[in-house]
Amino acid sequence: MTGPDASAALCATGLGFQYRRRGGRALRDCGFTVPSGRITALVGRNGAGKSTLLHLAGGLLRPGSGELRVLGTVPGTPEARARVALLTQDKPLYPRFTVADTLLMGEKLNSSWDRTTAERIVREGGIPLHVRVGELSPGRRTRVALALALGKRPELLLLDEPLADLDPVARSEIMAELMAEAAERAMNIVLSSHVLPELEETCDWVLVLRDGRVELSEDAEVLRESHALLTGPADQADTLAGQHTVVRSRTSGRQLTALIRQRGPLRGDWHVERPGLEDVLIGYLQAGEPGQPATTRVERTEAAA
Amino acid sequence: MKGSLWLAWRQQRASAGIAVAVLVVAAAIAAYYRSGMLDALHSGLFDHCATGPLYCTRPYTGLPLLLEIAPLKYLGALNIALPVVIGVFWGAPLLGRDRELGTHRMVLAQGVSRGQWFATRFALAAAVTTALSGLLAGVFAWWWRPAADRSYGLFWYDDTALSGSGPRVVAAALFGLAAGTLLGLLARRVLAAMGLTLLVTGVMTLLLEWTHRARLLVPPHVYVSAGSIPKSPMGEKWSTGTYGLITASGRHDSVFNCAYPSGTQLKECMAAHGYVARFYEANPASDYWTFQWTDTAVLGGLAALLTVVTVLLLRRRV
Repeated sequence: MTGPDASAALCATGLGFQYRRRGGRALRDCGFTVPSGRITALVGRNGAGKSTLLHLAGGLLRPGSGELRVLGTVPGTPEARARVALLTQDKPLYPRFTVADTLLMGEKLNSSWDRTTAERIVREGGIPLHVRVGELSPGRRTRVALALALGKRPELLLLDEPLADLDPVARSEIMAELMAEAAERAMNIVLSSHVLPELEETCDWVLVLRDGRVELSEDAEVLRESHALLTGPADQADTLAGQHTVVRSRTSGRQLTALIRQRGPLRGDWHVERPGLEDVLIGYLQAGEPGQPATTRVERTEAAA
Repeated sequence: MKGSLWLAWRQQRASAGIAVAVLVVAAAIAAYYRSGMLDALHSGLFDHCATGPLYCTRPYTGLPLLLEIAPLKYLGALNIALPVVIGVFWGAPLLGRDRELGTHRMVLAQGVSRGQWFATRFALAAAVTTALSGLLAGVFAWWWRPAADRSYGLFWYDDTALSGSGPRVVAAALFGLAAGTLLGLLARRVLAAMGLTLLVTGVMTLLLEWTHRARLLVPPHVYVSAGSIPKSPMGEKWSTGTYGLITASGRHDSVFNCAYPSGTQLKECMAAHGYVARFYEANPASDYWTFQWTDTAVLGGLAALLTVVTVLLLRRRV
């Protein structure tokens, strides 16, 4: 497909997927576009469909309905495989291969291979090349898996929870590595993570999934600026309802705290704070959960930037 | 394609090495014992032995005179067990190991398609299996030939010769590989896949041995001799153990109605009961190839079928 979205890193229309065994729909009717040149945070609670979406984009699964394009190509085709790298959550590697074997495998299995980069990433982690992968610590194994993903010089790198089993030092090292690579080669990254503060520093696009649906797909800065964290008397709640979109609100005693998407000037007496990305994301993740007033079916916003 | 073949070889080279080692050891043992066997045959000790299934005896002592064929039978037994061994240790982990570790996801996220991933590793395993089983069957045939169908050697219908030689060994080994590969794709754990493969290939092997003995797929020939004249000699034929008498109307009765070897008693008994002929059932030696090709068709067909099922399920399970 070539169209207006041909340059987009990810583009989905009506995307749905259902696992045969689990029964429930992992993804339903997802439509979004992630423009090119972005570092995207893929956020959602456990079971929201993050891994499913990344597996679909990496070509490991095929959509049940609708369609998904990565860099304008169909995932799983030879063209897409050459340009997209996927690092799944379990970071599987052959435990009996040495690190050198693993990198050699990357060289053999890919049409293009950047040995220098792959070896540098491994060496910077202080990992000897002759050690078997099965004997490495989880953090070091992640580094080898990342070297394998970056060695193919992908235009789009899909990372499923890459930081989950790393210590804080290794986390920031690997994130710095990723950011440097992304900047140097104009590489797109889609990164799923539960570590929201780290996403705030690195990501400039946000894709929020909830229960298999896309809740948000938006520029991070726009998201920060268009939302407001309000505190004020509870009886003023009505002034918000019509005009703004209340993402989440909580009443304690007579005081109301609310995260809203602001549309136009505020009426009433509110203490207004600019939320951080983390606050916005937590707001969206909590909205609609039990104990929260199911405020509004939040309007989906297509590419706004 | 080249890359995935490299990976397939990198992962299977240890197994291929073991296969070569087994083959070399088998060939060395065969060469050693076969030359001993030829020496014994050339010594003239066996020259007085007649063909046929009756033991030939030693002069003076009267003890049976036999070639040393126990090692040959062990090789035959190995060939019979080959589908089980290859299925469990090569077929089951072929896709199962990657599925258990999740490493197929890593390989497929590189520049390799599902089809290449499966095709290269299965083709390599099938090629090594064909070579190994074919050569082992060949070694058996080469070793067996001087002692074939002799009372002091090994008859064609012995289990180890009938099932441990010829093209059916190759078909059986490929069947074991295909069964193990499919079960490795279906089971979640390699160990479970290995257990299931052991069961499936073991049952199939025993089932085919049973069809040989029951003459299910290759029915025996009925040899009839008129009146009480001596029956045609059994020779190299594989008897079913069914002997009997035939009436003028053509009814076949048990031999126990006139259980006499020959002579006047037999003649009188046959006349009294109205029997006009005697018969026995056996498979002639030429049926060796009928058995071989029947087994080859059954096992080869199953191997092909299981491979097709594996290919069809590949997209769903991987």
